Amino acid sequence: MVTTAAANAGVATGNGEQPLVRLDGIRRHFPVFRGNVLRRRTGTVKAVDGISINIMPGETYSLVGESGCGKTTTSRMLLMADQPTEGNIYFDDRPMNQFSGAERRNFKASVQAVFQDPWSSLNPRMRVDQIVSEPLITHQRLSRSAVRAQVQELLQVVGLHPFHAERYPHEFSGGQRQRIAIARALSTRPKLIVLDEPVSALDVSIRAQILNLLKELQSTYELSYLLIAHNLATVRYMSHMVGVMYLGKIVEEAPPIELFTNAQHPYTRALISASLPAHPRRQREEIVLSGEVPSPLNPPTGCAFHPRCPFVMERCSVDTPILVEYASGHATACHLYDGDANTC
Amino acid sequence: MTDDVILKVQDLQTHFFTRTGVVKAVDGINFELKRGETLGIVGESGSGKSMTAWSILGMVPHPGRIIGGSINYLGENLLEKSRGEMRDIRGSGICMVMQDPLTSLNPVFTVGDQLVESLRLEYNEPRRSLRDRAIKLLENVRIPAAEDRLTNFPHQMSGGMRQRVVGAISIARAPNLLIADEPTTSLDATIQLQYLRLLKDIQDQTGAAIIFITHDFGIVARMCDRVAVMYAGRIVEQSDVEDMFDRPAHPYTEALLESVPDLDTDVDMLPSIEGQPPSLDALPDGCSFAPRCPHAWERCKDYPLEFTVAPGHVSRCWRAE
Repeated sequence: MVTTAAANAGVATGNGEQPLVRLDGIRRHFPVFRGNVLRRRTGTVKAVDGISINIMPGETYSLVGESGCGKTTTSRMLLMADQPTEGNIYFDDRPMNQFSGAERRNFKASVQAVFQDPWSSLNPRMRVDQIVSEPLITHQRLSRSAVRAQVQELLQVVGLHPFHAERYPHEFSGGQRQRIAIARALSTRPKLIVLDEPVSALDVSIRAQILNLLKELQSTYELSYLLIAHNLATVRYMSHMVGVMYLGKIVEEAPPIELFTNAQHPYTRALISASLPAHPRRQREEIVLSGEVPSPLNPPTGCAFHPRCPFVMERCSVDTPILVEYASGHATACHLYDGDANTC
Repeated sequence: MTDDVILKVQDLQTHFFTRTGVVKAVDGINFELKRGETLGIVGESGSGKSMTAWSILGMVPHPGRIIGGSINYLGENLLEKSRGEMRDIRGSGICMVMQDPLTSLNPVFTVGDQLVESLRLEYNEPRRSLRDRAIKLLENVRIPAAEDRLTNFPHQMSGGMRQRVVGAISIARAPNLLIADEPTTSLDATIQLQYLRLLKDIQDQTGAAIIFITHDFGIVARMCDRVAVMYAGRIVEQSDVEDMFDRPAHPYTEALLESVPDLDTDVDMLPSIEGQPPSLDALPDGCSFAPRCPHAWERCKDYPLEFTVAPGHVSRCWRAE
């Protein structure tokens, strides 16, 4: 039996490389108050509750799970838009809470984001060249002509024309806007880009273009991605490692092919069974979960998934399962697989 | 057999008369729907799929107008109906299923009130018997302890329950045709599956036909019997669902199916479709897909006719000639 940290360390050292970013036991708890004058703390929302992941250089780590499972809170902490209540984030093996001012700036330049909705993530009053160059100007001291040259280059890299620089976002289609957002993210030469549902707001015929562009950029610039997506097929196409989240915890982690052909955790299996088929003759075996995701304000005891789990056992409501390595690189947090369960 | 056809749309044209010109949102489409059948209308934004739905419901927004064709519903042309008659048909015969089933209930009325309200439109009966009908409806959508649930407000129910209540309301007046416009885009995968199963369930019970307006071929593969692919206001290909996935005849369908990643197979690079969907006020002459089409040739300067490539399978592409 291997614990979380060890399992992750095993994954990390598997190819002898150091992870670019390491999340170590991250928790983010939000206090819940009641009353205005006599404010009392009445509870805690455990949005992220102890997750540890390694993002390797040049690879994509994907987080999947339903809304409210803590994917976005995790990414916000990675973007320094929020701070973990507990645990630490290591960047190039330096803990984030000990960053010097220079390290902080360097980190912020090295981690960029592309968001879901390119209609609201681009300022309609800024021209494309202003949008793309804003992070450049913030993070680097460059002459005006150097900025201009960089903007032109970035636009070409993402498949736009240099003359697009003088236009405004409303003159572009969704796919082109997402290209602008990608150009902006690339401008500071980041090492990691957080992709929060990068294609789900786009037209179907455009999605493949953007996914392919992201893949090309990854191999050209050795970028790491943290991909947040709910479409499992997209995740399979893009990822090197996938973490399945449920109520703030990672319940299963594996490389995509292993995960989608050999899923162990009942929640992962239900998620896969709920994804839509690619052909009418390939219907999936359906695992219908009863109920819905419980409120994180009042999560179930033991395994958070047990009230919906079709394989629930007695100990599931008492013991919280921990992530244990099931096969090489494949870890799952379920009592069905943690050795001392004699059920299967 | 012809009695079985409940909806027949012929050469429907819905155009928008804007200051900058005429936008042909729907430009001559044909399809028909049998009782109990499920049709998927697939397309991207701006392809005219939602406007097709609004046209059938007689609710084309200003400055749009239906300028040609016919919509035959149970042998009557809906385009000749008055506003009042259309209002009656909506809800009783043809019913729209809400985009977001979780927020379409009124929070200040009980579930029972909302069900009885829609039942009262259909049945002229005392409140008590309407109440019994409401209980029956809730049982039909598998809500346990239906009688106790009538006095619940929507916020007292879970999301899945509310979904079922919305489903119950949409079948309260025994519709013949349900139109679901992107019914599951905002839902999580497991909730989406529950919802699709509910719709199938409703269909099995009532024998209603369903039109799914969607951009997702997965929903088509999961739910539909027939599928029509729309591009720039026209149906470019239409066939049985299996035939479409096995032998897509139109280059657009073919490319679209290939460009969607698949959970069961691995690819290094997805084939992608170049370019953007055309803007409807500046359509190219001839085939509107030609600028993005890898097979475009001379002939594509004229808009392709409809060719039958297999029984029940038509494609608007010169390659099928």
